[in-house]
Amino acid sequence: MIRYILGRIASIALTFTVVSVIVFLMMHAVPGGPFDGNDMPVSDAVKAKLNASLGLDQPLYVQYFKYMWGVLHFDFGIPFQSPGETTLQLLSRAWPPSLILGGAGVLIGAPLGILLGMAAALRRNSWIDYLASAFATLGLTIPVFVISMGLIMVFAVWLNWLPASGWGKPHAWILPITAYAAIPMATYARYTRSAMLDVLTKPFVTVLRAKGLSERRIIFQHVLRNAALPMVTVFLPMFIGTATGSIFVEAMFRVPGLGAYFVSSITLRDYSLEMALILMVTMMFCIAYLLSDIVYALLNPRIRVGGRS
Amino acid sequence: MPLLDIENLTVSFPQHEGVVQAVRGVSLSVAAGESVGIVGESGSGKSVTCMAVLRLLREPPARIAADKMELAGVNMLTASRAQLSASRGRVAAMVFQDPMTAFDPVFTIGHQIVETIRAHRKVSKSEARGEAANLLARVEIKTPEAILNSYPHQLSGGMLQRAMIAMALSCRPQILFADEPTTALDVTIQAQILQLIKDLQAEFGMGLIMVTHDLGVVAETVDRVVVMYGGRVMETAPVQDIFDAPAHPYTQALMASMPGRSAGKQRLVEIPGASPNPSNPPSGCPFHPRCAVAEARCAAQVPAFKSQSATRAAACWRLP
Repeated sequence: MIRYILGRIASIALTFTVVSVIVFLMMHAVPGGPFDGNDMPVSDAVKAKLNASLGLDQPLYVQYFKYMWGVLHFDFGIPFQSPGETTLQLLSRAWPPSLILGGAGVLIGAPLGILLGMAAALRRNSWIDYLASAFATLGLTIPVFVISMGLIMVFAVWLNWLPASGWGKPHAWILPITAYAAIPMATYARYTRSAMLDVLTKPFVTVLRAKGLSERRIIFQHVLRNAALPMVTVFLPMFIGTATGSIFVEAMFRVPGLGAYFVSSITLRDYSLEMALILMVTMMFCIAYLLSDIVYALLNPRIRVGGRS
Repeated sequence: MPLLDIENLTVSFPQHEGVVQAVRGVSLSVAAGESVGIVGESGSGKSVTCMAVLRLLREPPARIAADKMELAGVNMLTASRAQLSASRGRVAAMVFQDPMTAFDPVFTIGHQIVETIRAHRKVSKSEARGEAANLLARVEIKTPEAILNSYPHQLSGGMLQRAMIAMALSCRPQILFADEPTTALDVTIQAQILQLIKDLQAEFGMGLIMVTHDLGVVAETVDRVVVMYGGRVMETAPVQDIFDAPAHPYTQALMASMPGRSAGKQRLVEIPGASPNPSNPPSGCPFHPRCAVAEARCAAQVPAFKSQSATRAAACWRLP
């Protein structure tokens, strides 16, 4: 098991390097630079001076190694769109709202979705099942900004219970978190339902009943444990995917989070921030997949490396 | 009072194209300690009958009706969930066809036997584990401790079927349902497993229902045979009589089609036609379209199940 994990960590390092090279090359392959905007044109001489001061006049491989050397020392450079702070400072300022939004959205949406999916699978073809399916389909098909708009209309405009936007007081968090929870809830409900139904039709469930086990024990110990296998591989990476925030929800509720920077760093050719964001997401996904593989191996004796353990 | 007493059991599955009638009025009784073989081709309703008795079919879609369905004095038609759980495993245990899919893949064999014991009796985990080891030794497993700690995927089919039998016997059931227990196994293992079931049945003094399509299995393990066809019982008789003097034309045809019953090289005898479509069964006797000696009334009316002697009965118009 230890060897397996060490091997996986080595492969993460490789993934990280490959992603960084590709992203760096693609980022610089996009024409234009940070000072080519038309809003406030600068003269060519000034542009050259700025580029030189930021090292942008050097060959690409030099820039790459300089940047990656910095990354290894937790120095992600300075964001061009906000030069008064380092990239790390920007991230530590903008990430917490996204983390709260995404984290709370998943932590609320996932358990609700799992319960809904379980209820649907156990009461198959009943009104609960149909309601859960309708709910899950709506949650996945209605764009999140439409859901956001509906929530603002009902709870902010008509009922006037909650603020329509902002991030100051915690009660302003309720609407964006609710909007955010819809997608994980819908996804988890669908996955849980199909995973449970898949296990419920397995012959060993009939054997468990024939042994005289209580239905509760069959469901909660045996069926859930088996259904969890395909679920963990989806859930952990999805959890990470949501923790980086949502561009749409943050824009709709004017949350000062990370979402907008994913777009602006590309349009403004903010190379340092763009690299930092993508490397961060890459690292989080790598860790999430590693964790989900470990959890999967712990839950599933059939793939435990090294045979019996 | 018989241990298992079924009168006029019907099991049907409503579907879009119509109602599939899997079991159409089966009556069956098994005395304590008696071993009965239910034989029939695929779709004759033999497995469904067993599943229906323990209420293991999903209802709905399955619809079960009977004039009587008692297991050790408990009316299984009206039994509560708790009564069913108490009967299953304890009064009647079941051994299934495919041992490779019969165990939960994420728990050890030991865990699954121990949980069966502890579902029915108040014993400690370590006591239950000790009993499980003894049971595994009893089903001729050489290294019980190693098997207890194994996961299902680590064992062979024959090994798993032995463990399955040990698990079924763990609560000393009064009757064992064995639903084609050797069909999924290697031929070399089949005979060992059958001998084991037969020995254990005698040792534990329990009733046995051996469901199979293999007449050889029946000849080796049971006292009495129930022949099913098209969801109905065609004939029941002591095992020797079934082989020596089958009364019902269907049983006669079955015996004639067994390979190697007559000397010399010859073409295998077959029963013409195909088994009845369960969603649109023929009128009258289900076997009449394939029966060599069918008469007009065979298609018109279902023959009654009549006793020929104290031990034999059959449903055929041509029999007295």
